[in-house]
Amino acid sequence: MKTRKEITINKLKGLGQTIVEDVTQNKVPSLNVPSRGTSNIVYDENKRHYVLGERYGKRSLGNVKQIKKIGQMVYMANFCKQLVEREKTATLRELYYVSEGWDVEFGTQDESNIVGEDLEVTLGMTREDLGLMPEEDGASVYGDLTIKEDDLEINALRSGKSGYTISPTINEVEFVDHDVKRVIAVETMGMFHRMVQESAYKKFDTLIVGLKGQAARATRRFLKRVNDELNLPVYICNDGDPWGFHIAQVIISGSAKLAHVNHDLATPDAKFLGVTASDIINYDLPTDPLKDIDVLRLKELLKDPRYRDEAWKTEIKKMLKIGKKAEQQSFSKYGLEYVVDTYFPEKLEKLE
Amino acid sequence: MEIQAGELFEEFQELTASEFFRKNKQMLGFSGKIRSLTIVFHELITNSFDAAEEAGMLPEIKIDLKRLDKDHYILRHTDNGPGIPENFVTKVFCTMFAGSKFRNIQSRGQQGLGCSGCVLLSQMTTGKPAKIISGYKEKGELKGVQMTLKMDVKKNQGLVLDKKVVEVKHTGVCLELHFKDVSYSLSEQGAFEYIRRTMIANPHAKIVFRDPTGHKYIFKRASDVIPPLPKEVLPHPRGVTADDLIFMAKHTDKRRFRSLLTSSLSRMSTKRVNEIQKLTGIDLNKRPKDMKWEEAEQIVDLFAKMDFMAPPTSGLIPIGEAQIEKGIVGILNPEFVSAISRKPVTYRGGVAFIIEAGIAYGGDSGRMVGDQRKAEIMRFANRVPLTFDQGSCAITEGLKSIDWKRYGIRDMESAPITIFVNIVSTQVPYLSTGKQSVAPEPEILHEVRQTAMTVARKLQKYLRAKKAEKEEAMRSKIFEEYVPVILKEAALLAETDVPEYQPVLAKVTRRALAELLGEPIDED
Repeated sequence: MKTRKEITINKLKGLGQTIVEDVTQNKVPSLNVPSRGTSNIVYDENKRHYVLGERYGKRSLGNVKQIKKIGQMVYMANFCKQLVEREKTATLRELYYVSEGWDVEFGTQDESNIVGEDLEVTLGMTREDLGLMPEEDGASVYGDLTIKEDDLEINALRSGKSGYTISPTINEVEFVDHDVKRVIAVETMGMFHRMVQESAYKKFDTLIVGLKGQAARATRRFLKRVNDELNLPVYICNDGDPWGFHIAQVIISGSAKLAHVNHDLATPDAKFLGVTASDIINYDLPTDPLKDIDVLRLKELLKDPRYRDEAWKTEIKKMLKIGKKAEQQSFSKYGLEYVVDTYFPEKLEKLE
Repeated sequence: MEIQAGELFEEFQELTASEFFRKNKQMLGFSGKIRSLTIVFHELITNSFDAAEEAGMLPEIKIDLKRLDKDHYILRHTDNGPGIPENFVTKVFCTMFAGSKFRNIQSRGQQGLGCSGCVLLSQMTTGKPAKIISGYKEKGELKGVQMTLKMDVKKNQGLVLDKKVVEVKHTGVCLELHFKDVSYSLSEQGAFEYIRRTMIANPHAKIVFRDPTGHKYIFKRASDVIPPLPKEVLPHPRGVTADDLIFMAKHTDKRRFRSLLTSSLSRMSTKRVNEIQKLTGIDLNKRPKDMKWEEAEQIVDLFAKMDFMAPPTSGLIPIGEAQIEKGIVGILNPEFVSAISRKPVTYRGGVAFIIEAGIAYGGDSGRMVGDQRKAEIMRFANRVPLTFDQGSCAITEGLKSIDWKRYGIRDMESAPITIFVNIVSTQVPYLSTGKQSVAPEPEILHEVRQTAMTVARKLQKYLRAKKAEKEEAMRSKIFEEYVPVILKEAALLAETDVPEYQPVLAKVTRRALAELLGEPIDED
């Protein structure tokens, strides 16, 4: 079986070969780039995440408007091939600066990011496969998980109080050993530290993942891998508002924008633990009133196919009805330990 | 003390036409130094043109303008027309309202004031006589006479100061006049621009002009076609007034009024005359001289209600599309030109007219203002440039009402464009005695608009094609620039040699061109 590296290199090489072959046969080369417009993103009920539809956009060498784009893709493919061959990575920002030396330079970084996505969808590879990294690091992980980054063995229990930081190259990381039964991901680092201090990792035999808001691609890839490869159930605990709901949902069902890589990023079996609207009522949490924008967003979520199951619908409607939202940290109304001593055990019991 | 009527009337006198115009020279167009000189040019040139054309010759004029002192000029105007027989010379140059153009005919001049008016102005401003050499043929023999004339204003006739027989090489008139209180100018209203515009509307003419600095301009003939002579057409019933009818009745040799109507008006059939008799109850078999004013009024009122065929248009001779284009090319040397002559239509229900328009882009089109060319409008009536009073003119109004942006001309004011509009009619409805602007009759405004929009569409098409051509050049440049580097990079990616790409490059360039022109694209 070929390694991911070999597959990537072959696919990149293939892109060049298609073009050269067309020219040899006196044909005007063109590439079919799967369209990423909203109308070409469909929710796949079987895979339980968003996938790209059948529509393609053409990038032809014979079209004035497309020739530059096709050129940029070829240049970028060459750059990525060199990265992969040398087992290096570059950030999207670095890529943008490198492209200044090309004959088909980009106007803005947004432009180069988009061509990067074009290359991803055309080849069916993730940008991490291509050696391209985002700027930001992924989430923090705390708990008894041993991994290997190149030759370095790291235990996430002994990486300091802020835990192990998921690197953008998470794909290359090998899971060596673990002694946990589950994974709990929380939205804020505040909650992450609370759980570390209250030894939640011991109490629940869990990995604690601090998402830092919307989960980065590397974080989602990590959650997917621990779920797939280590068979660990994943629970997500966020703020009780539409934004918290959606952070969880993107981890579960993938984002619409990255439909082409959702098969590597979505964790359909991950479960949303809370804070739900029912929690707000049952635990009598301190709340804030919903703002107009919250109401609008909740109504949008109701129409989103990812929220089609009844449990979600009920919670969203309930929140709209009570007109209130609550933060994760609001449990401290009952003492700092309450969330770990009472809330988590009760909720986990219900879900398991 | 009471003055008696008789005393008051001791001073009573009759003013001759010459006396009248001496006091009212602005009515001849002589107002302002620049305008006065332009009008002199206008009168002399139109007379020469008309004379040559009537004699079936291609007009050729030599004009020599010398400056003796500030505001003092000598003008020598020589044409190649048939000349003037000796005994008519004083009439033509010294008697006002003497001429041959009082008919209902399409002509440049109309009132027989032109030449005598110029002589009057010369005499009024300098006191100098006019010098005339006329070459003409009599019984097949070429004769020449030189005369020095003054105008007896009181009597409205010429005074011959000197006369001698001279030898001439060809027929034609050479006129030498002194002027003061006039000014030669290169402005839009000036004499030079007048000649230039005249040449556009009269490409069959040749004018050699020596300006006061001694520079000689030769405006060459751009066409050898002498315009056909317009025919006299009978006035249309809708175009006559009660006064016209009474005037006709007085000067006719017909015995009955009904035959006067059928013979003096167009579209007037016996059936129509019977209808008029029935509806008005006037006995049309009476002698024309017995026609009363009230009856004439009644008939004219009825004309307005009756259904007549549109007036005959055989009397209208347009310049024609090809000739306009030749004229414009000859003078403006434009990058693009297009002209159109519309079908005749009528205004006020009874006067036929034709609107012709041309548009020129690039080259010497437009007027230089500073270092930028601005759009200019050239107005003409029966081939004669209208250079004054442009504000109220139907032509200006019609053109200004067009949304030029729709024709790809973003900023009409500063586009290198000349728009030519000529109105052809036996009765151009001038707004004032100066005959420099056309009354904005709704039908005329409409025709001006339609005509100009038609040529504007053609210009738009040209500008589009030009833009496409530019784009095409840019496009093939893009391909030539990108294809080699992209294929080099693709070969590097594929780890092979760079393929031979010339055929593909040729193909994409060709294809881009086809796409640009909206032609079907040959797929692989």
